[in-house]
Parts: sequence; structure tokens; C-alpha cells
Amino acid sequence: MLGRHIVRAMKTVRTAGLAAAGKKEGGASLMTWVNSETGPKTTHFWGPIANWGFVIAGLNDTLTKEPDTISPKMTGVLCMYSALFMRFAWVISPRNYILFACHVSNECVQLNQMRRWATWRYAQDPEEDPVLQIQESGKDK
Amino acid sequence: GSLRTKLVHFWHHPAGPKTIHFWAPSWKWALVLAGIADLNRPAEDVSLPQSTALAATGVIWARYATQIIPVNYNLLAVNIFVGITGIYQLQKKIRWMQQNK
Repeated sequence: MLGRHIVRAMKTVRTAGLAAAGKKEGGASLMTWVNSETGPKTTHFWGPIANWGFVIAGLNDTLTKEPDTISPKMTGVLCMYSALFMRFAWVISPRNYILFACHVSNECVQLNQMRRWATWRYAQDPEEDPVLQIQESGKDK
Repeated sequence: GSLRTKLVHFWHHPAGPKTIHFWAPSWKWALVLAGIADLNRPAEDVSLPQSTALAATGVIWARYATQIIPVNYNLLAVNIFVGITGIYQLQKKIRWMQQNK
């Protein structure tokens, strides 16, 4: 509540100052964004920013963790999750580009994690590698 | 308002099962189930960044669900659970890290 009063006071001072100096609202584009309905004063901004935590966590795991610690269930679910939410972010009103970018990135990160896990998993027991099975059965023909 | 009328209304709803507004938040429940399935994994395998991210996103989006119009109770509920499982895994990992310094 106090914040709102502070912001209003700052706006008044700024407008008055600019008018006194005979200047127009030149730096309007930054303040326009700051005050917009999807700007940093709203949950439409901070929710997606929080979701980038997923992406950073995923990248960290990709670069520092061994594939045997990857959970295929969670990774698979996250692949589907980001695929759905990419579309969601695109069609909601207002369209949320930060959320969209976040889920596109997370999709890439999670698919790569899935690849890392699957490569490790089938290196453990080549008998169970489905790709190898197909190749083997192809050779007999 | 018979059951049939309600089902037809639900099917054609702008946020109903023909739309992403339904499926995207509903799929988030799979995230909760995957999280619950992962609860049995040993603490050393728990990803500290991932559980922190899940805990934070759960809490933030739970609040978000109460601030939008109309309030989305499905989204609120699912994010509360995401937050709880994330926080549980996080504290499990932190305790393990304390014990294994």
C-alpha cells in the first residue's frame, strides 16, 4: 500500500520536473513497460521469472550431475509439461513471451536430460536397448 | 440442470477439455505424482537445484492462482502440492548434506 503512494509521488515529481525543464516524456518506453499489465509490478512477470528456476536447475543438473541420478519419470513429465505450457503461454491473453521462452528452453533441457539418461541406461544392459534390437533383427534378413 | 446439461456445458466451456487452458494446468498434477514417486529416492540422488525450483515455483504460482480473475482453484491446489513435495525433498537433501559434510 505504501509502495503505491511512493510510486505515485515519484511519478508526480518526475512529470513536474520534466514539464519544468520543457522536456517531453522521452524515456517513456522503459517506464511504459515497467507500468504495463505484464510488467515487473505484476504476477504476470514474476511467475514466469520463477519458472526460469526450472531451466537453470535443469542446466545445472546437465552440466554437473551423472546420468544415473536423473529421474526418467520426472524428466518425462517435465517434457510433456513444457510442451503444454509453451502453447498455453502463447494463447493466453495477454500473450506471455517470457513464459513461452522459459518453456521452450526447459523443453530442450529436459529432452537432452532424457537422452543422457537413456544413453546411460542402455549402456548398462545392451540386451534391453530397443534401438539395438531393431538393428539386430534387421541384420538377420 | 441435469447431469447431461452440465457435461455438455463443461465440454464446450472456453477453458474446458477442448482447450489448453484445461490440459496445461491439469497436467501439472502429473508433476505432483512424479514428485511423490520420487519421494522414495535416496537423499544423495535428490537434485538440490530442482527441488528448490519446484518449491519456489509451487509457492509463487499458488499465490498467482488466487490473484487472477477468476480465481483458479485447480491451479492453486496443484501448486500447493508441488510446493509441499518440493519443500519436503529440499529439507531431506539439506539434512543429508548437513550429516555428510
